[in-house]
Amino acid sequence: MEPSYKVVEEKTGRYLPVIYPEELPFWEGARKHEIILQRCNSCAKSWYPIGPACPHCFSMSFKWDRMSGRGTLHNYVVFHKPWTKWFESKVPYAVVQIQLEEGPRLTTNFLDCAVKDIKIGMPVEAVFEDITSDITLVQFRPGKK
Amino acid sequence: MTQVAQAMRDKTAVCGVGLTLGNFQDKSALALSVEAYDLALEDAGLERKDVDGLIQLSFGNDYDRFLEAVGTDVRYAYQGWSHGRFIAPMLQQAAMVVASGMAKAVAIVHGRRRRAFGQLADTEMWRQGLGPHGESPAYGAMGPVFGAAIAAQRYFHMYGGSGDDLAPIAMAFRKHAQLNPLACRTSPMTREDYLNSRWIVEPLRLFDCCQNNDGGACLIITSAERARDCKKPPVYISGMQGVHAGPQFHNLTLPGLGVAQQEVFNYRPQKEDLYAYQMAGVTQKDIDFLITYDAFSPLVLFGLERFGFCGPGEAKDFIKDGRIELGGELPINTSGGLLSEGHVVGWNLFIEAIRQLRHECGPRQVKDAEVCQYGSFLGETVIFRR
Repeated sequence: MEPSYKVVEEKTGRYLPVIYPEELPFWEGARKHEIILQRCNSCAKSWYPIGPACPHCFSMSFKWDRMSGRGTLHNYVVFHKPWTKWFESKVPYAVVQIQLEEGPRLTTNFLDCAVKDIKIGMPVEAVFEDITSDITLVQFRPGKK
Repeated sequence: MTQVAQAMRDKTAVCGVGLTLGNFQDKSALALSVEAYDLALEDAGLERKDVDGLIQLSFGNDYDRFLEAVGTDVRYAYQGWSHGRFIAPMLQQAAMVVASGMAKAVAIVHGRRRRAFGQLADTEMWRQGLGPHGESPAYGAMGPVFGAAIAAQRYFHMYGGSGDDLAPIAMAFRKHAQLNPLACRTSPMTREDYLNSRWIVEPLRLFDCCQNNDGGACLIITSAERARDCKKPPVYISGMQGVHAGPQFHNLTLPGLGVAQQEVFNYRPQKEDLYAYQMAGVTQKDIDFLITYDAFSPLVLFGLERFGFCGPGEAKDFIKDGRIELGGELPINTSGGLLSEGHVVGWNLFIEAIRQLRHECGPRQVKDAEVCQYGSFLGETVIFRR
C-alpha cells in the first residue's frame, strides 16, 4: 500500500481518507479487516491518532498491535445537512466516537443501528467497510453486552 | 510570569477600530481589509505613516500585498492562521510588540469574502490525525460545526439537558443585534422559531450556528500614552492570557468533556487558569459585560464555565431568564455576536468591546461600562478597561 492524497473518488463523489506515510500499517490492517494501532514498547499503552511517538511516555519505540475490535459508544452526533451531493442519500447519519477497550477513541460511523436507538455507553464491535479497491474504513455497530 | 505580566497592565490601548459587515460580492478580501484600515485610521485620527506594525490572518491576500496596496512600509509584520481561537493571541502579540518598543502602532487587519478563490478551509479537514475541529471527511464528520456538536452532546450527557437549552443564547444575541445597525441578522426570533429551525448536526440547529458573510475589520493598538492623544478615548489592555492547548484542550470544547482523546472530569478553573484577572487587578465580579467566541451557541456555555462565572454544568441554567441580555446580570455579546451580528472571525467581537467601553453604542450601550472581558473556551482572554 502507498500513501494516498486523493480526497474525493471522482466516479462517486465520495470523500476518501488521506493516508499519511506513518499510517500505512493501520490502513493495511483495515484492508484485512483488523484494527491495527501502535502499542508502546515502554509503557505498553496504545494511542490514536497515529503518530511518531507514544504521547503517554514519549517513547519512540513502538510496535503495531491488533486491537480486539470491542469498545463502548462514547459520543455521537447526527448529521442532517448533506455537505455534498454524495451525502444526500446518507442523511441522517451518525458520526460516533468509540472508546476501544484498549483506551484510544476512534471517530467513525455507526452501522446497522437506527439513529434513534443510539445510546452513549452501549457496547459496540468493529465492522469493516471496503470503499475502494484499496481503502477500507474501520466502522462500528452494536455489540454484545 | 505573573510579575512580568503585571508590568503590562494598562501599558497599551486600542486607539482605532473599523468594521464592515454584509454582502460585498463586488469586492475582494483585499479591498475589504484596506477599507477597514481606512476606517480605523479615521477613527483614531492617525495617518498611515503613524502605523509601523501590521498583523493579519491568512485569509484572502497576504500581509505584503496589503502593505503594497496601502503604500506603507512597516518594521513589524506577522501573518497568522485564520481561526477564531487565534484572534486573542494576535491582539496580545500587538500589545507586546508595542510594549517592547518593536513598533509604535500595530494595525490588525482582516478582510473576508465568502466562497472566495483559494481558501485554506477547503482542504484543512484532511489534516493528519483529524481536522482542526476534529473533522474526518471520509466518515462524513464535516465542518467546524462537528466539533461544537460533539462537545455539546457530551456536555448534555454529563450534566443533563438537550439542544433545546441553547435557545436563550441564540435569542439573546438576536435581541442585541436588533439594536445594532451593522448587524447582518436582525429578524425577530422567538423560542418557537429557534426550536423550529432545522437540524444541522444534532444536537445543534441552524440557529446555533453563525452564518457566513463578507466583511472587513481593523484594530489599531498603540501605547497608552500615544492613545491618549488620539481622537477617541483609549481603551486599555489590562490583562491577558493565552490559548491553552494540548491533549486536554480539544478545539471547540472545554477540558473534561471527553471529546476525542480528552479525559472525562468536571472542569473547574484553578487560580493558575485565571491569571489574566490577576494581571488586570480585577475579578469576575468586576466584569460589566462579557464577550465570548460564539461561532456556535454551546461555546458560550464553555466560555462561562472556563472562567468560573458558573460551576461545571451550571451554564445551561445561568443563561436563562435574561441574565445574559442587555440589562441582565452579565450581558454577553452585546453586538449580537457571530451568531447574529456576523462573522468577521471574531475581530467584530473585539470591536464591540472597544465601542462599548467608549460608551458609543447608543440603544445597546451597557450602562456605565468600565471593564470588559473577552474570554473563550480555550482559556484565551483579553481584559479591557476604559
